[in-house]
Amino acid sequence: MRIGSGTLVERRAARGQRILVTGGTGFLGSHIAVALLRAGHRVTVLVRSSKKLPAQDRVARLADWFGLDEGVRRSLDVAEGDVLDPGWAEAALEGTAGPGPVDEIVHCASNTAFAERKRAEVEAVNIGGLRNVLDFAARSGCVFFHHVSTAFVAGKRTGLCREEWVESGKFTNVYEETKAGGEILARDVCRREGIRLNVYRPSIVYGDSRTGRTLRFNALYFPVKAAVFLRDIYLADIRERDGRKASELGIRMKENGYLFMPIRIEAGREGGINLVPIDHCVDVFMAILEDGLEGGVYHIVNSRPTRIEDLVDHAKRLFRLDGVETCGLEAFVAQPRNALETLYDAYLDAYRPYMQDLRTFEIKNAAPALEKRGLVCPEFDYAIFARCMNYAVETGWGARLFP
Amino acid sequence: MDDVLKIAKNCRHYAMCKIDYLGSGVCASGLEKHYVSFYPEGRMDLYAAIAEKTIPITEKCVEIADSCNLCGKCDYQCYFVMELRPSKVMKALKDHVGAYLESGGKIVPAKDDRLLAEMKGIVGDYWATNDPAVRITYHHDLCPHVTFKMPEYVVMPNSIEEISAIVKLLNKNKIPYVVRGNGASSHGLVFSEGAVLDLNRMKTMDFDEKNWLVKVGPGIAAFDLQWEAKKRGARVHTAEPAALVCANIMTSGLLSTFSTAYGVSADNFIDAEFIARDGSFFRLNDITAPNLFAFHNSNAEHEAFAICVSVSMKLHPVTDDESGILVPFESLENALDFAKDCATRHIGLAIGILGEEFMSSFLAPTIKRTADVKDIFTQKLGMPYLVLLIGDKYALRSVREMGHPAIDQKLFKTLFHGLSALKSANWLDLLKELSSDEPFSYLRIGQFADLAETALAPSPAQLTQDVDPDLSPFFEELYSRPEMTDLVWLNTFRIMSSRYNREKPCVALVCYLPIDTSLIEEIQGRFQDIARKHHLKSALGFITPIDSGKRCVWEHDFYFDHNDPAEVLRIQQAAYEAGALIDDYSLKTGTIRQVRYVVNQGCCRKENLLYS
Ligand SMILES: Cc1cc2nc3c(=O)[nH]c(=O)nc-3n(C[C@H](O)[C@H](O)[C@H](O)COP(=O)(O)OP(=O)(O)OC[C@H]3O[C@@H](n4cnc5c(N)ncnc54)[C@H](O)[C@@H]3O)c2cc1C
Ligand SMILES: NC(=O)c1ccc[n+]([C@@H]2O[C@H](COP(=O)([O-])OP(=O)(O)OC[C@H]3O[C@@H](n4cnc5c(N)ncnc54)[C@H](OP(=O)(O)O)[C@@H]3O)[C@@H](O)[C@H]2O)c1
Ligand code: SF4
Repeated sequence: MRIGSGTLVERRAARGQRILVTGGTGFLGSHIAVALLRAGHRVTVLVRSSKKLPAQDRVARLADWFGLDEGVRRSLDVAEGDVLDPGWAEAALEGTAGPGPVDEIVHCASNTAFAERKRAEVEAVNIGGLRNVLDFAARSGCVFFHHVSTAFVAGKRTGLCREEWVESGKFTNVYEETKAGGEILARDVCRREGIRLNVYRPSIVYGDSRTGRTLRFNALYFPVKAAVFLRDIYLADIRERDGRKASELGIRMKENGYLFMPIRIEAGREGGINLVPIDHCVDVFMAILEDGLEGGVYHIVNSRPTRIEDLVDHAKRLFRLDGVETCGLEAFVAQPRNALETLYDAYLDAYRPYMQDLRTFEIKNAAPALEKRGLVCPEFDYAIFARCMNYAVETGWGARLFP
Repeated sequence: MDDVLKIAKNCRHYAMCKIDYLGSGVCASGLEKHYVSFYPEGRMDLYAAIAEKTIPITEKCVEIADSCNLCGKCDYQCYFVMELRPSKVMKALKDHVGAYLESGGKIVPAKDDRLLAEMKGIVGDYWATNDPAVRITYHHDLCPHVTFKMPEYVVMPNSIEEISAIVKLLNKNKIPYVVRGNGASSHGLVFSEGAVLDLNRMKTMDFDEKNWLVKVGPGIAAFDLQWEAKKRGARVHTAEPAALVCANIMTSGLLSTFSTAYGVSADNFIDAEFIARDGSFFRLNDITAPNLFAFHNSNAEHEAFAICVSVSMKLHPVTDDESGILVPFESLENALDFAKDCATRHIGLAIGILGEEFMSSFLAPTIKRTADVKDIFTQKLGMPYLVLLIGDKYALRSVREMGHPAIDQKLFKTLFHGLSALKSANWLDLLKELSSDEPFSYLRIGQFADLAETALAPSPAQLTQDVDPDLSPFFEELYSRPEMTDLVWLNTFRIMSSRYNREKPCVALVCYLPIDTSLIEEIQGRFQDIARKHHLKSALGFITPIDSGKRCVWEHDFYFDHNDPAEVLRIQQAAYEAGALIDDYSLKTGTIRQVRYVVNQGCCRKENLLYS
């Protein structure tokens, strides 16, 4: 190992070292960077400029969103770069103008698309981009590589998934496949180079369980958003026009003010959706970062997955909907999908494998660190659902996230 | 510049006020008196000239001003394509002339000269003039490259014999002349310091349905011909609706999205008749006729050595199952592949890849709405390229079998009438996710069109929300007509096409070349560099495959403000550089032909044009 654990602890305690966070504008990357900063670390975030905003401004906007105070912001540096560019580090970090050497790297930059047609882009970032970051880690003074992966490297297997390397397997999509490949790549390079490696595997991360705030409105949010948009479309049809379109689909206003919108959602009797709020995800990450000095693979998951039926009930209650029901495949054989159901079903398609997850995820490696801190993943109950979805509606599902 | 003068100076000279394309009628005085001076377009020029005191108040000036009864028909027409209100100019013209006369101003008489008298002897007193009020309306278009010439005479012959006699007379007196159709070529082609022969009185159409042809006189506009053909259940190949058919054939060889099936240049007609430079008559099919089927691929000025006095256009059969679709693509490469594939397999009658500029300006009823429509198609729907395809049910079935999701007639109508609601439709975000694995796959969901209809509550009233309030009842009725959402009708009659020049006019760079994405993208990149260098907006116009997909017609446009002298200088330079660039590529590849070289060679054989 490039560094002994004692020295590492000392250096960290002195807050003398610098941590690079890639994907600093992303959901997890930004939250992790902020947690590190708040814990007193010096952080450099690797960020790309967007079409509309330069890298610095993107970070400043996020810092405002997090309400970072000036003192904390002083420990934050922005390095502009694209991990696809093999020379990214020279330009972003190693030049005289750069923020200087880094001691640890938290790699969050990733392409999280599932679509097969995006295979080339996903492979480029999740494998090629990772390799570029690892190359830099190898030739720089990096002593610890924190690789943010996903619990779904488990792929299509069912049952208990262990905190082990996934050497081979069948995958639902290119995202899972490249994330699994990425872990092995990181392992091999780090072993060869004597760099400590932690692999963090969250399941599905949503907003803050205490405030409902979030930066991303995909995954969990998407099917809910689809239902809300459909509700709004038919509500407008009823309220502003003659409601003819709504009634053609059996949609009507009920006396209790609920909209009756008959949609059957296919759901098996078993399994559920494994949801982790960002606050818990970050807490666990920080706990592992601190305690998991010897390296390892860590699931960041919920031991109590949410049943689709519960999710549907929460959505019905919050959005004053009726008629949305879950049912088994046999129901659709008996009575094929109607127009609305076909449409909604198409919306759910990409997320289906994660909605009825028959996998369970071992939480062994991080258990001591979690117990020590009393960290328990919150159950996704109605109160949390409402908090998160109200924030989503308030911000126009992300459209009005930043002023 | 005051507002009225601004309107006058923004007339594009596309002659749309000369055809009844909205069914709202054409300026009555124009129909009666034929000189462009008596149409709104001419009055715009005349008003600008007298407001800027370029010409005095003459007899014709008074006649032209008097002949407008302020009926307002031109407002409908000009607002539809250019968002202009010409009747304000018409009123200002009448007021100006009225005030001048009331204040005792003298009417300056036109000088009669011997030559004019001789011309009048040939065509009749009314149909030849040297009055400045008429001449000024024949003295410029928006071409940024040429120095305009004011003609001495404007003559309106009404027969082949009269043309021949006038040509002989002009030759004898060594007076240069030019023949003019509707003057909408915008290339500075119809100007002469001598005489302009305006053929607008020669409006003959003889249908010979047995032989699938129609013999068209040189004064017939595309729209009017198409209208008559449609009445007979057929179609002619036409392009810009206000272009005169003979002129169009002579100038560009007549090309459109229908060129995929109907071809270009000599493909369009069976025979044509001419008056040669010496005033003699010949028919193209005469064994001794000059070989107008040849094509010289050069920049040399091909002088119009003959006046086309009739063309026998082909009539094409039409089936009752024709329909249109728009097939969306995320990249030009995929759009080109699809268009080429269809053309190679002879699927569809009309095919055109429309860029965002064309699509947005065609659909938007106002300039303000254009930016929204562009944003909707490119950003919200993620469709920067749309391939329009017109075909019968078998063609459309083939496209479906090829696996391409498409916007069909029903959805097109919904999206078109629901444009304002689309702007604020947050549910569009869902569509991207919905088709993450295959772009636009949501278009295949049977119920999508219904959902869109429910969500957008489309209506002509919604579409016309921001047109001038006094015109909105008219436009609401107009957009509710079935043909206004019928892609077949819209592409056959092309009444929206000139809207792409509504914000600013353009210099169109039009080429024939192989359907080769890298070549097209490379040249397009160079065009964009040139435009950027000269601070001009530039954009893809359209691309249409022709000749079984072996070649395509490609239009790329440089936009400019013709009223801004600095911008005119810049467009001159940019167009020059772009022209030189295409020349280079033509030489290098041996496969590129420029449409600007077709001028006066439009009768050529397509094969000579493309491959010789
Ligand atoms: C917005 C816009 C879009 C266009 N799109 C297309 C398109 O898609 N396809 C296409 O083919 N063209 C297109 N054009 C070009 C235009 O339609 C043609 O140039 C057409 O010829 C214009 O017709 P015109 O009657 O106005 O001709 P004019 O401008 O009057 O004359 C054009 C030329 O033809 C000569 N000419 C006129 N009449 C005769 C005659 N009887 N015999 C011999 N020579 C004659 C003139 O001397 C002049 O050189 C477009 C033009 C505009 C403004
Ligand atoms: N969110 C979840 O539910 C979840 C669950 C499990 C695991 N994870 C893992 O967590 C990590 C972060 O995910 P996320 O949800 O935070 O995703 P995200 O919000 O989409 O963020 C991805 C980040 O990667 C950056 N990035 C992408 N390509 C890049 C490139 N070529 N160069 C530089 N930066 C690049 C993005 O930058 P731009 O902003 O410039 O695009 C963005 O900052 C990923 O490894 C993912 O697999 C996430
Ligand atoms: S207002 Fe005048 S110029 Fe316009 S159409 Fe009526 S008569 Fe013609």
